[in-house]
Amino acid sequence: MTKITTNRKSLVLGGAVALAMVQGGTATAADADWSGFVENATYYRESVGLSKFRNTAQAEFVKPLENRGSWSNITLNGVFRATYDGVYDLNDDEFGEDAREPFLGSNWHPQGDATGGPFLTSGVPLPCENDPTICNNLDGYMDQDSNDVRFPDFNDRFDALREFYIDATKQLENGDQFSVRLGKQQVVWGRTDLFRVLDVINPVDYSRHNIYDELEDIRIPQWMAQLEWRMGPTGVFDDSNLALVWNFDKFRPSNLGTCGQAYRILDAGCFFSASMNLNLLPGGAFPGGVNPYSSSVPIIHDVEDPDWKLENTQLGLKWEGVYGDATFSVNALHYRQQLPSLHFRPLAPGVPLPATDGVFDIRFPKVNLIGGSIDYYSEATDAIWRLETTYTQGEELPRDTDGHKETDMLRYVIGLDKNLIIPALNRSRAFLISAQLFGQHILDHERDMPDFEKNWTGTLLFKGWWMNDRLSPQLILAHDFRANATAIAPSVEWLASDNLKLTLGANFKRGGKETFDWSVNGSGTNDYEPLARFRNGPIGVANEEDEIQLTLRYSF
Amino acid sequence: MSYKAAISLTLLAALPAVATAMTEDDLQESFYPYRNAVPQVDGLSAGTVVNSSNADQFKARLDPAMFNFVKNGDYSIKVGETTSFDLHESYVNATRANMGGVTLGAEPGQISGADAGRPFPQEPSASDPRAGEKLAWNYKYGYNWGDSAAISPFYWKFRSMDSGKVERTLKFNFHFLNYTHRTQQEPTPAITPNPSNLFRGIYVQVLEPFDVKNTQLLIHRYEDDAKRDNAYLYLGFQRRVRRLSSGQVTDAFLGSDIMIEDFEGYNGRISDMKWTYKGTRTMLMPFYNHNEQALDSETHSDDDGYQVVSFTGKGGCFPDISWQLRKVYEVEATPIDPNHPISKRIHYMDAQTFTIPRTITFDRKGDMWKVWTIGQAHPDYHLPSNKGTGVSIDDAFSMIDIQAQHCTTGQFKGQVNPALSPASKFTVQNLRASGR
Repeated sequence: MTKITTNRKSLVLGGAVALAMVQGGTATAADADWSGFVENATYYRESVGLSKFRNTAQAEFVKPLENRGSWSNITLNGVFRATYDGVYDLNDDEFGEDAREPFLGSNWHPQGDATGGPFLTSGVPLPCENDPTICNNLDGYMDQDSNDVRFPDFNDRFDALREFYIDATKQLENGDQFSVRLGKQQVVWGRTDLFRVLDVINPVDYSRHNIYDELEDIRIPQWMAQLEWRMGPTGVFDDSNLALVWNFDKFRPSNLGTCGQAYRILDAGCFFSASMNLNLLPGGAFPGGVNPYSSSVPIIHDVEDPDWKLENTQLGLKWEGVYGDATFSVNALHYRQQLPSLHFRPLAPGVPLPATDGVFDIRFPKVNLIGGSIDYYSEATDAIWRLETTYTQGEELPRDTDGHKETDMLRYVIGLDKNLIIPALNRSRAFLISAQLFGQHILDHERDMPDFEKNWTGTLLFKGWWMNDRLSPQLILAHDFRANATAIAPSVEWLASDNLKLTLGANFKRGGKETFDWSVNGSGTNDYEPLARFRNGPIGVANEEDEIQLTLRYSF
Repeated sequence: MSYKAAISLTLLAALPAVATAMTEDDLQESFYPYRNAVPQVDGLSAGTVVNSSNADQFKARLDPAMFNFVKNGDYSIKVGETTSFDLHESYVNATRANMGGVTLGAEPGQISGADAGRPFPQEPSASDPRAGEKLAWNYKYGYNWGDSAAISPFYWKFRSMDSGKVERTLKFNFHFLNYTHRTQQEPTPAITPNPSNLFRGIYVQVLEPFDVKNTQLLIHRYEDDAKRDNAYLYLGFQRRVRRLSSGQVTDAFLGSDIMIEDFEGYNGRISDMKWTYKGTRTMLMPFYNHNEQALDSETHSDDDGYQVVSFTGKGGCFPDISWQLRKVYEVEATPIDPNHPISKRIHYMDAQTFTIPRTITFDRKGDMWKVWTIGQAHPDYHLPSNKGTGVSIDDAFSMIDIQAQHCTTGQFKGQVNPALSPASKFTVQNLRASGR
């Protein structure tokens, strides 16, 4: 069983408060409304065969409760999910505990000087099945065993209970409303598809299908309280709301996928479970002529696991409204970086050699974010324009010579949504054309940072509907401009009935050609490992993951 | 100001005043056309069935599309008594209070003095070039669902007309709210604050099936007809609100045969169309008493014992209801936008209620494309709570795509109950709060 750190305090706190509110309200005759689905997703990856045989059962309910005092619209809501991914049983040569790779990164680049010899070993698949030391070092982060990857919802955080919260609204004397949503939930900020700019309250499980599943299915729900003061129309705004989000759950990072899993974004999981064979170097390579390493040095020594303390909880504030033709939000968030920051551990103070028991510690620094979003209907273009931006302080990014650096970051998305009737193709149903440009600026960039100082990724969605929306083909394109990496994802969705849906798709990626000097291996080496993964990004690093995908879903 | 401009303005100001002179008799005739007599047609009386065998005899009482259906044997029309659908007294009184004070502006879509009630209750004149536009205003500011109402639940079925197969069933809640022009439900005459001067809100929530569950639509229509609606869509799987472009209001809504612009007969700006009054006719129209119809015991059941209207005819595309001979205004609406997906609609507006129970839509080539029926139920023979509300209740619909031989049918539980449609339901934030 994975040791993703148990959050018993917040589970107990959240559950107790939710249950207290449930008991406070009396169930009415209204029955709970249940719905859900069972689904099989079978993906075939070029060169490795089966890459996913995921079977999911999900059940959702909404239970209306009787009004209590001035509280109304009281509902109890839940989502349960159970997943079994059979790929670890059906294709165990490629995935799972025996998924050995010839060298680190062999799944996305040719071998270079930095892999093999005294440098980087290949990653250890599912280290808790194969290497107790690395398992211990990655404790609480990338320490899944075979059952954990087969049944990812059944872990110590009990992710099978995806959502469980109570909603209630209180009518205020002045006509405003005060509402509470308390429990395990997803809180969605922003207006961006595919990428997350403001939508960063919940961490994300990239091991499910990299960046390509709906965010609703890969956000990791958190125990939170969301308080809203709904002012409604005011003298100036058509709608105005102030929301406070308190994430009192124990901190949890995004899941990048453990080495051996079928999807591991940036191949970080295998890098973190690799080692450096510094023990193979001759003594002459070191100051004093003596090799201080008697065995290989794990890349990761330890993973920070912030305790549950009030000061470690996360807090957000959002003001959202409608002004004329524009809807807007202004956001602020104090949270923790959900991607790991690598902190170098020197052999001794001031010595540029790693400690014998591990090169880096993983930390998740605290971050302050301010941002906002706006969308606007332009009659001139008959299109919706979206803008979303954030400025953060406290994020840490990797660099070559010192492991990491704290830097301010600016991110933004400009989006355009247009519905267009193309009579030659379909005269009664408009096509959806949605384009986005996502920009990221590292404001305190250093030359030895492997990520680009400024980079942009463009996305394009083109979607049509036929047969009264029962047949819907779509094409998604994403291009990382600086990495020159492209993803192309065509798919066709067919609703055979109200209950049965088949989706046939493909996912092709190109890129992964960017290299980056690693000072340990000398300048001018232009190698892929270990730093170019950050440069190539999630599209480029997945360049060998072209897939044909079939999903069958029966809903009720 | 130039001399010429001054003359133009003077003329423009004078024109509407001439066109809006009206009397109490006009008002009585407008709201109570059957007080003294009901329409009579030889051979047509309550109990008559109009079918393929006698369709030619009653061709003049049917619109061209319905004539074709009946002539082809796709549907038989059961004729019922003509009954008066009296609108709520508060609406009639508001009309009386504004009598003569309503004027059209210089451009289509401009109106003044129409604070509440029916703006132009006088009989339309074929010699009035703006008669069609006035009828459109009567529809827009009609009593319709009253000041607020809900259709909860509301079943839409996608059907193949050839096979009769029900391909898809959507279950909704629809809510309507007038911010202004309110006459009956408190507050009157308007809800405040209303900073953008909204006229009306429509809120739609999808309950089933799973793949579109939690989809929500919010439409804000402005008092200023020149201003485009703002529309918002919440997609359950995205958990966020998206703005809709105007292109989407002429799109097939959730794959049905209906555009958002088709809702309630016509759901757009007056200024988006060129309106032409084509004449006053006596026609068979879908007006009936719900409780006296053959009802569908399978689609819906609840504690009220309420059942929805059943469907019959070819493909199950026609409401199994009775029809009445009624006074009808035929109005042609031609889109101003040359890129609009249709070339025109012909609306058959009921003269008493100013609902639009029948509409024929023509494609860009000018061929008949879709046929829209919205059955009107008398509120006193419906849910007990609807009795006395003076609302002509939209109770069953059918949109038939003649060319595709496909239809979407609608079965309503209309409820005129302000508690179901508070103003707080018509906010963007409510979309987020009501979703996951």
